Amino acid sequence: MTATPLQTDASPAAIEWVPALIIGVVGLGLVGLVALDTGLRGVTLFTLGGALGAVFIGFQYGFASAWRRFLVAGEAMGIAAHFLLVGLCALVFIPAASLGLAASGSVAPVSVSLIIGAFIFGIGMQLANGCGSGVLFSFGGGSGRMLVALPFFILGSLLGSFLLPTALGWGSLGQVAIAGDAGDGARLVVNMGLIAAVGAAFYALGRRRGQTAPRQVLIGSVVIAMLCWLVFIISGNPWGITFGFTLWGAKIAAGLGVPVGDFAFWQWAGPQRALAHSVLADVSSLMDIGMVIGAGLLAAIGGGLRRQSWPSSRQLVAAALGGILMGIGARLAFGCNIGAFLAGIASGSLHGWIWFVMAMAGSWLGIRWRPAFGLSR
Amino acid sequence: MARLTPKLIYVLVILAGAVIVAGDHLTSRSLSGLGAPGDLGSACAPCGAPCTDTDG
Repeated sequence: MTATPLQTDASPAAIEWVPALIIGVVGLGLVGLVALDTGLRGVTLFTLGGALGAVFIGFQYGFASAWRRFLVAGEAMGIAAHFLLVGLCALVFIPAASLGLAASGSVAPVSVSLIIGAFIFGIGMQLANGCGSGVLFSFGGGSGRMLVALPFFILGSLLGSFLLPTALGWGSLGQVAIAGDAGDGARLVVNMGLIAAVGAAFYALGRRRGQTAPRQVLIGSVVIAMLCWLVFIISGNPWGITFGFTLWGAKIAAGLGVPVGDFAFWQWAGPQRALAHSVLADVSSLMDIGMVIGAGLLAAIGGGLRRQSWPSSRQLVAAALGGILMGIGARLAFGCNIGAFLAGIASGSLHGWIWFVMAMAGSWLGIRWRPAFGLSR
Repeated sequence: MARLTPKLIYVLVILAGAVIVAGDHLTSRSLSGLGAPGDLGSACAPCGAPCTDTDG
């Protein structure tokens, strides 16, 4: 997570009117289509996706760089801020039933595929310089690197969907909810205790090394948590990113004549329904599109699009490779840093913690590969 | 000929993406409610994966 916000000193003349107008018109057109089918709920979630895109790019809130700075330089405050975000989300996700919400958290199996997938994802997020949310908001902001990473993320995600049914047969303990047999109150206490302990450990480590948590990062965590609460309450599920990519890949492949529907993943009830209907009818896909629009609008208004340049060809290869690895990894591991790490831990699911540990291990390896692609450690 | 800057490619991708999304939406079966893959069946994961035999 970098501490540099999107440049806010740009004069009104810095606004890039043509891209801003195009993005605005596209956004309004899509809002119209969404309103026709899924009404206010769809429009609200699309708008929340836009708000998340704007907040992420405005605060330059990311995971990959913060994890890299921890592993390379021992800077721990970024990860402490991530656990602040996780803890705030947990306050609503875990006691959802007690709060009278018609929503449930994100609990996924503890499986061999989770361990492998999260590790692969960790490598990919360091090679591509961004994770699930980072690739999406940076793509929305016109990043040349992410113009390459995102299509490969989508391709990898589709490949991952073909692999997952087989990978699930490699072994699984099933869903494991931490303190799952206890009531909502006890589950909340146990999980909040765990999240607070780990977050405090990273914070204490940072303090011992003379680091301070940037106020901007803390504010970003709080704002994103509030948006996540709204997504959870309105959609009924925690915010997730990568299923949208999988769906886009499947739609494109089907359009090219690939018999996507014959693969086991796409015969499961949920994916089958998503494939048969509009990309605007799936929550993840809808919010992803909104996120691109929101990030793009803020970037155009702030003059950020014209500041983008192409990285070196070696770095673009790293972005492509990282995208593929993240796509496959996200499917095998039931999500990315948002859908598995944030939503999983905040829902009290053991898989979220395992995802965190394995993606951190993968990041360690990915960081060592970065110099081969002309990237700094 | 215009240089293929990230900004130009980006704008073209946004326009192409909008056309594809609108086309997909208008040619897909209508669905009055939003869905998430984990909502259907006896899903054991947010992506809609079912519980396997080894699951508890």
